[in-house]
Amino acid sequence: MTHKHDKKSMLSQGVFIFVYLAVLTGLEFFVAITFNSVAVLVAVALVKAVLVVYYYMHIYELNADGEGDENSYEYKTGTNRLGLWLFLISDSFVFGGLMVMRMNLLGLTRPHLNQTLGLLVTAVLLISSFFMNRGETMMKNGDRKGFLNSTLITFLLGLGFFIGVVAVEWRLAAHEGLTPTSGPAGAAFYMMTGMHAFHVLTGLIFLAIVWINGRKGLYDEKHYPVEAAAVYWHFIDVVWIFFYPALYLVGAVVG
Amino acid sequence: MLRKNSLGSGFLYLLIAGIIGYGLGLGLDLLIMGSLRFTAPVPSAFTLLFSFTAFFFGVYGYRGITRGLVFQIVGTLVGGFLVTGIRALMGLTLFGGFFFTEPAWVFGALVGVVSFLFGVGVMDDWVKWARGIDTPEHHEDEPGWEKYFGVSLDHKVIGIQYTITALFLISVGGLFALIFRTELAASGLQFLNVEMSLFGQNGPQLYNTLMSLHGMIMIISILLGVSGIINYVVPLLVGAHDMAFPRMNAFAFWVAVPASVLLLMALVLGGFDTGWTGYPPLSAKAPVGMQMFFLGVFTAGWSSILGALNVIATVQRMRAKGMTAWRLPIFVWAAISTSIIALTATQLIGLSFQLVMFQRLFGMGFFDAAKGGNPVLFQHLFWFYSHPAVYVFVLPGLGIISELLPVFVRKPLFGYRWIAMSSLGIALVGFVVWAHHMFVSGMNEYLRVPFMYSTMLVAVPTGVKFFSWVATIWKGKITTPTPMLFVLGAIFVFLLGGLTGPPNAMVSVDLHLHDTYFIVGHFHDTIFGGFVFPFFAAIYYWFPKATGRRMNEFWGKVHFWLMTPSFLFLTFGMMRVGLLGMRRRIADYDPLLGFDFTHLLLTICAFGIALSVLIFFINFFHSITKGEKADGNLWESRSPEWLVPSPMPVHNYEVPFEVVGEPYDYGLPGSKYIEFVPAKGGKH
Repeated sequence: MTHKHDKKSMLSQGVFIFVYLAVLTGLEFFVAITFNSVAVLVAVALVKAVLVVYYYMHIYELNADGEGDENSYEYKTGTNRLGLWLFLISDSFVFGGLMVMRMNLLGLTRPHLNQTLGLLVTAVLLISSFFMNRGETMMKNGDRKGFLNSTLITFLLGLGFFIGVVAVEWRLAAHEGLTPTSGPAGAAFYMMTGMHAFHVLTGLIFLAIVWINGRKGLYDEKHYPVEAAAVYWHFIDVVWIFFYPALYLVGAVVG
Repeated sequence: MLRKNSLGSGFLYLLIAGIIGYGLGLGLDLLIMGSLRFTAPVPSAFTLLFSFTAFFFGVYGYRGITRGLVFQIVGTLVGGFLVTGIRALMGLTLFGGFFFTEPAWVFGALVGVVSFLFGVGVMDDWVKWARGIDTPEHHEDEPGWEKYFGVSLDHKVIGIQYTITALFLISVGGLFALIFRTELAASGLQFLNVEMSLFGQNGPQLYNTLMSLHGMIMIISILLGVSGIINYVVPLLVGAHDMAFPRMNAFAFWVAVPASVLLLMALVLGGFDTGWTGYPPLSAKAPVGMQMFFLGVFTAGWSSILGALNVIATVQRMRAKGMTAWRLPIFVWAAISTSIIALTATQLIGLSFQLVMFQRLFGMGFFDAAKGGNPVLFQHLFWFYSHPAVYVFVLPGLGIISELLPVFVRKPLFGYRWIAMSSLGIALVGFVVWAHHMFVSGMNEYLRVPFMYSTMLVAVPTGVKFFSWVATIWKGKITTPTPMLFVLGAIFVFLLGGLTGPPNAMVSVDLHLHDTYFIVGHFHDTIFGGFVFPFFAAIYYWFPKATGRRMNEFWGKVHFWLMTPSFLFLTFGMMRVGLLGMRRRIADYDPLLGFDFTHLLLTICAFGIALSVLIFFINFFHSITKGEKADGNLWESRSPEWLVPSPMPVHNYEVPFEVVGEPYDYGLPGSKYIEFVPAKGGKH
């Protein structure tokens, strides 16, 4: 698949990628409840992450802007892209460290969690990523109204994810006896979801700012802030692509 | 009367506010504890914050850093009282010997840091951006010295701000070292004994706190010093008009200021006795000072991460025309290598400290064996940063050696590509050596040998550097002004540090040397040779670029000839007592071990170093206004920044340059590195 530039094919590409991601998530769930192979779960997560990083986050654009006067908007945008990606690389070391913590403390066991809710919030975040991509594509094609609507949906879904994890899932888990102090499983679960939720929160603030300013038409010409918000939002999704199997699917339930 | 905005009025305000703060703190403490405690944490904390802020008020007025510090104090109090209020609703204890309870202090400190950033004004542009208002990336700075006390987006101003802050912290950390070094001069506890009490700690506890803070304050000061030199020099070397992200550059500097305040707060809020490593389970039980330490390091980490990000983006995107990878100044290669580590690994020390903070605050048992946690996990996370961190310190230092050496021997740098790649090599190998700090920690034994070999591998790229330096010096026309003296000193001292490294890397030897003074001697050699000597060399070298004046040569040489022998004797002595069985991190030792005389000499040497640094400070501040004028190419360098007048113009190069040859071809007839070519558009 190449990256085409007319509006229609860009939008339909977003749909295709979303379908792949949804199918892979289903496959993941299926693998987890049937033969629970860690290798397959890791492989599926990696494929999902690569799809998001390439098609939704457009990592290839890092190579695209060598041209232009150093003071031009295009050149600065290229520098900004590099800066954002460097930040994401740095940030991913936090999540990598949390993953190491989880593997060290829990190994191939996992906490007892509500599977339906886990799959639901994962789906909500995935759908929000789809709408984010849709909104960004629309903005690049000059469709401000479409962009605003899609971003609003993204924001609401993101808010839903946040509430789903922090307000519902945490309460349910605590009700089942999984509290931050109950043991390594509780500590790892609350720390990982908490750190991720913190990033979701910052992403929501970023989306809100972009939506409000976008409504004033500030990004009609210079739409890098929209792209940055989108890339950051997809990054949060990529983190969850790894955290979801790590917390809900891998290994056997204890406690 | 005193002039407004002068050092004099600064010290006057410091005194007045210090007394007010002390009285206030004493009163509050009396209210809570019911007895007058003159050296308790609360009056000390108030004195520290009030006097520190008032000093800047006297010097600079209510703006910039003063406003930031006021915001930090108010923010800390607001955050603290908020948590205290919530605790009141929950029916928990409200106040204690440290005034606030621990959760209140932690939240308050966090709010304080954020408040500082808003108060100092570094967030202004971003707030405007969020409201949809465009701001320029270049502000007009105030003329003169005053611009250094407020937010400036100019990389040269920020570089100097970093350097001065680093020098301030170096003297604080050095002062701590002198205090506990004096205690070690003879066996038995002389003045840091159990009868004394300061900041709620008795003598041996205070020894532990000072020793721990000496480590971390020096580390932070080195990180800031590295950032200072890189910030000032790298854009000049690559021909950029500024860093890639000037606002973030300012943010990265200013976030280090509240971090330093938090580190000093750790001293007065009960201290901590874990050493700079902060291992749990001890760090999970230390007083509230531990939390201030964690927060301070966590905050300073952001400075390092964002600074590194900026360096990589600047070099990648803003190089002059014709500056290909193999024509990049060698210091820039070092800056890139160091930034790769700082950008990524720093997150892990932040995370490890954060996990201990949460373990203390919420009872999450990450490292609590009783709750199924694993204390060794902390060490893995911690050392994953903290070993590469030493390469963050030394790589820029080694880069300075390679950058300056050809200038003073008038010969091409030997093996340019090998040096460039060795910096990168050290950085990358540095990621897989961390567990050599843990040979005795009880980690899985099968990890020992692989980490032993990976550690020894570091000697290969380091050896490449030494080979190149020696070959560069070989048959050169050597001149020895002060910067060159420090470069040569750095090579010698770092060689000693390097040679004492491989023995520690070997598991069989390390089992005996671990936690002895031999290790202390070894790492002081590496850090002095890899950072402190080159840092001074860089300051002596680029000082004329920043000020248009040079530092005094005579006193520079006195600085060198006093510091070097004192330092060499100090570390040799440390290694000797270490081999004879002296443990590190302890306030006392058995007189029967027979170290008393050596320790006395070591203490004298430590004071020798302190005196030499004092000479440096006087020379430094004196030369800023009174030094001999030097506005040309003082060192006859080929580097572009020396081909324009000093001090450096505000927007760097009026006429951009193009690279047309090799950077270090000193002494080759007809060779040319750069050419100034006016841009077609007429803008820089």
